[in-house]
Amino acid sequence: MKLHVKNIILITMLAFVTIGGTTSCSSKKKLAKKEYEAKLLQAKTDLNAIIEGTTQWTLEEQKSRIEEIEKSDLQNAEIDALIVKAKEVVERKMAEAARVAEEERLRQIEEQNKVKQVTSLEDYFTIIAAAPNAETANAKIAEALKLFASPDVPVLIIVYHVGDIIDYDAPTTAERYLNYIKDQKKVAVGIYNIKYDSNNKITELELIKK
Amino acid sequence: MKKILLTLLFGIFLIGNTQVFAQELSPERKQAVDSLALEKVRDLSKYIKIVGSKETPWSEANRVIDRAEELFAPDAEIGVSSLASNEVMYYKVRKYLERLMRLNYDRVEIDWYKIEYVSDLQRQPDGTYVGVITVFQTFKGFDKEGRLIYQDTTKKDITVYVKRKETQIGGRLIGFWDVLLGDMRVKETSLK
Repeated sequence: MKLHVKNIILITMLAFVTIGGTTSCSSKKKLAKKEYEAKLLQAKTDLNAIIEGTTQWTLEEQKSRIEEIEKSDLQNAEIDALIVKAKEVVERKMAEAARVAEEERLRQIEEQNKVKQVTSLEDYFTIIAAAPNAETANAKIAEALKLFASPDVPVLIIVYHVGDIIDYDAPTTAERYLNYIKDQKKVAVGIYNIKYDSNNKITELELIKK
Repeated sequence: MKKILLTLLFGIFLIGNTQVFAQELSPERKQAVDSLALEKVRDLSKYIKIVGSKETPWSEANRVIDRAEELFAPDAEIGVSSLASNEVMYYKVRKYLERLMRLNYDRVEIDWYKIEYVSDLQRQPDGTYVGVITVFQTFKGFDKEGRLIYQDTTKKDITVYVKRKETQIGGRLIGFWDVLLGDMRVKETSLK
């Protein structure tokens, strides 16, 4: 009898443990499933936002998020397809951003070159005016003319400018103006405006009396 | 009645336009035009110096003659005087400059000074501004030993014509002052 009671207690305890263990395992599974679904939903939301371009994240942040989702290996066909699409979108946007940045860099270089060119054109004016003889001046004129699209590029000289009223001297050409500086041995003008063509050559020069 | 009305309207239009054209330039703007005309005479003085100089290469002198000629109105003449004669000879601008280039001296010095208005630019009915600028020119001729063999000082009056014109440049309408020099008349010639 004593043995029998003992067995009953043991069996009961075993049953408790077994029942208890089964219940705990089921909860954990439920929790894991809940977490997985939440992760799936979040991943789906994020990937769609990236694809549709509605996210506020930077391109780098978007890239990191895609990598993070990819690493978490959610084993979901829809997510896998969204990852591929999101990667394409981010790569395309990054390439576009790189292209824009490169264009901006080149534009800035071009601007800097233009500034340098203005300086060198003014330098040419000074050098030509101070040339000791016609031969030296002519060599410098030939060099300076390389900055222009042609020797016949119009040169306009503002003699009066107040408000909307602008009075010019009679229009001349680049070649004639450079020779004028050589003959007169003086530069009494400043550069007011320069127009360039696509080859960065001057197509119109506007000067103003100092 | 219709005719009278039309005539009246046309008359009003004409008066209005005349008033617009007759508008005087502001003193600052007029000053800019005065300076521009004066500068053209100063430019000419440099050109004459270059053409007269025996050191100027032939091709350069010819180019400068072209530029100098462009400063003048067509048919303008330049007076030439000498201490040896009371007569003043007048030559077309190109002829004058070509003679200057070939003067029979080994070295020539030509300087212009006291370049100033004797008669301010005055607006004419056709819109042209006309004035007279006077200059003093010293001329010195040297022989090959560097000895001064001739010199004189001449006072000359140059008539200047300034007219506002317009032209299209790069699709823009540009308003510019066209300055032309007229006859250059000898007023007096002296040794010094």
